[in-house]
Amino acid sequence: MKSSWRKCFDQRAPRYTSYPSALHFENTVTPKDFADKLDDVNLYDPLSLYVHVPFCRQLCWYCGCNMRVENYYERARDYVETLCLEIALVGQRLKGRGKTVSVHMGGGTPNYLLREDIGEILTCIEREIGLTDSANLSIELDPRLLRDCDIDHLSALGFRRFCLGVQDFDIGVQQAINRLQSYELIEACVSDMRASGIDDLAFDILYGLPHQSLETFDDTLDKVISLAPDRVSVFGYAHLPERMARQRMIDATALPDEQLRSQLAALSDERLITAGYVRVGFDHYAKPDNALARARLEGRLKRNFQGFTDDAAASQLGFGASAVSFIDGLYAQNERAIDKYARRVRQGEAPIARGLRRTKRETIVATAISDLLCKMSTNVSAVLRHSPPADAIKMCSLLDELEADGVIQWRGDMVEMTDGAHALARMVAMAMDPYARSQADFSAAV
Amino acid sequence: MSASPSQAKNCIAPHRPTSCDLCAVRERSICADLGARELAQVEKTMARRTVVKGHALMEEGESNDTLYVLVQGSFRLTKHLEDGRRQITGFLFPGDFVGVRPTEASAYTAEALEDSMVCHFSHKFLEAIAEDCPGVKDRLIARGQTEYHKAQDHIVLLGKKSAEERVASFIEMVAKSIGETDEDGAATTPLPMPRQDIADYLGLRLETLSRTLASLKKKGAIRDISRHSVVLVE
Repeated sequence: MKSSWRKCFDQRAPRYTSYPSALHFENTVTPKDFADKLDDVNLYDPLSLYVHVPFCRQLCWYCGCNMRVENYYERARDYVETLCLEIALVGQRLKGRGKTVSVHMGGGTPNYLLREDIGEILTCIEREIGLTDSANLSIELDPRLLRDCDIDHLSALGFRRFCLGVQDFDIGVQQAINRLQSYELIEACVSDMRASGIDDLAFDILYGLPHQSLETFDDTLDKVISLAPDRVSVFGYAHLPERMARQRMIDATALPDEQLRSQLAALSDERLITAGYVRVGFDHYAKPDNALARARLEGRLKRNFQGFTDDAAASQLGFGASAVSFIDGLYAQNERAIDKYARRVRQGEAPIARGLRRTKRETIVATAISDLLCKMSTNVSAVLRHSPPADAIKMCSLLDELEADGVIQWRGDMVEMTDGAHALARMVAMAMDPYARSQADFSAAV
Repeated sequence: MSASPSQAKNCIAPHRPTSCDLCAVRERSICADLGARELAQVEKTMARRTVVKGHALMEEGESNDTLYVLVQGSFRLTKHLEDGRRQITGFLFPGDFVGVRPTEASAYTAEALEDSMVCHFSHKFLEAIAEDCPGVKDRLIARGQTEYHKAQDHIVLLGKKSAEERVASFIEMVAKSIGETDEDGAATTPLPMPRQDIADYLGLRLETLSRTLASLKKKGAIRDISRHSVVLVE
């Protein structure tokens, strides 16, 4: 990143995996609102399903997900039963309408569950909502929990995309985040996956972790590239110890400063691009023949809760504690606490705790931001037209400043990210986002 | 399996049937409600074609102003979803109709599962005939199933809760259209479509469909299963 851009960089920028962000969700969205939206789903409307598994074997100190360390498998078994009840509740409402085009299992650690239980969840989706062989099945995996033949079994269940949490290969960094996993372990997982014919393997890596230096991270990137995953997501670690108790285990003095963070991000970008990966959005990379890279090329890239995706379904149904559904402008999030979630499902009720009904203006801003993040250019005329004059002026002046800094370029009503400025896309999105603009500290970010 | 667009609508040259009196499906459904005068009129404007296996009778998104009556063979109806996937939305058997209303953009593609025979009625001519014989179109399609019935069937099948119910109801549905009972009382239901199409239609995985068929056989509901038919126990 150019040094003149560093002032534009704010690690507190929203991730924009939804718009408005989940921070704006309120408890005014009810199970009935959600059910009404399910009633409007048409026979062949594509549905994208997300299943949240909130269990892990061990705590990773950097993690910001809704998860808990669970030592009794019985409780996970109960959770699987609850999930199936919840899936059945939605199925009863859909009555065969809607077409499942993808199922993604995330966590936590989905492979904390026994493969039989993962199979049972799929069977339940098939029975209650419908699941055909053309659906894309993907799952996040903790390589440390993979046992013999797990990959073969998951691939026999129909999973075609595996996401491995790699984070960093340096042992010092791994110790500092409480996630020890050797290169040999990851290498063995990758070779098992390749042997079962998996051609869509994703790695997550993290920069901004304690004790990371340009040297250690370069070595991690060497190893990542040598294992040749089909996709790589490079996320910046957000240290929020006041909100995430587990992050207090991390020694804040060992964290890279802002300058090193941006150098680490730039290093990963440079290394992956040189290795032949295509940049997808601002933090994903894919081999040119991968479905995600093709979607990027063909302008079909979208953003959802999992990040950048080639999934074209407009409706997303989330199952499990804290999972979020999105149908026709309505965000509906389940109870976060597992026991509360389970209690409501077992009473036969949709476990919706909060959410948000998107206004027309929010939908327009959401589209503009999504285009910017997915295509690196966006038409802002609709946003300006639907903003109060003072707001529109503020937005234009922020964008003008970003143009003066060389981050973007105006072309008529189009705002385009300049070459190499992709890492700042979220900062440009903030300029278009009325919520971000109204935050007092936004001026410090630009 | 699917034909490329350039060759898709490649029907064999039309020929006029010697007489509608010889039509195999007439008594069962098609044209059965037409009076003699109406039939004579309709016959004049009708053409019959063979559609070769794998070729399309009508293409999703293309204009169509012909009413098609399936006389022999079978078709599958498919539709592209917004994410580019293809969904099987129904199957046509002898006596069924598609293209019930003229349209700028057909909602389905109809593709022959085997070499099939189809009667074509131009909506323009049917409307001209209607001046003499009001309601002729309605009577023409009165006994057959149209694409709208197929959509109804599909939602009913998809709404069934177990794989077994969905598969059994599907076989029952096909049997009603093209099932045959021989003198021994064995009811054979032809399944001209690939298993993958059935699975897709029923919202099931192929493996589940195979397992369910095997389990129906084990329970005695099905006597025999072959690639292109099932024999039911009466």
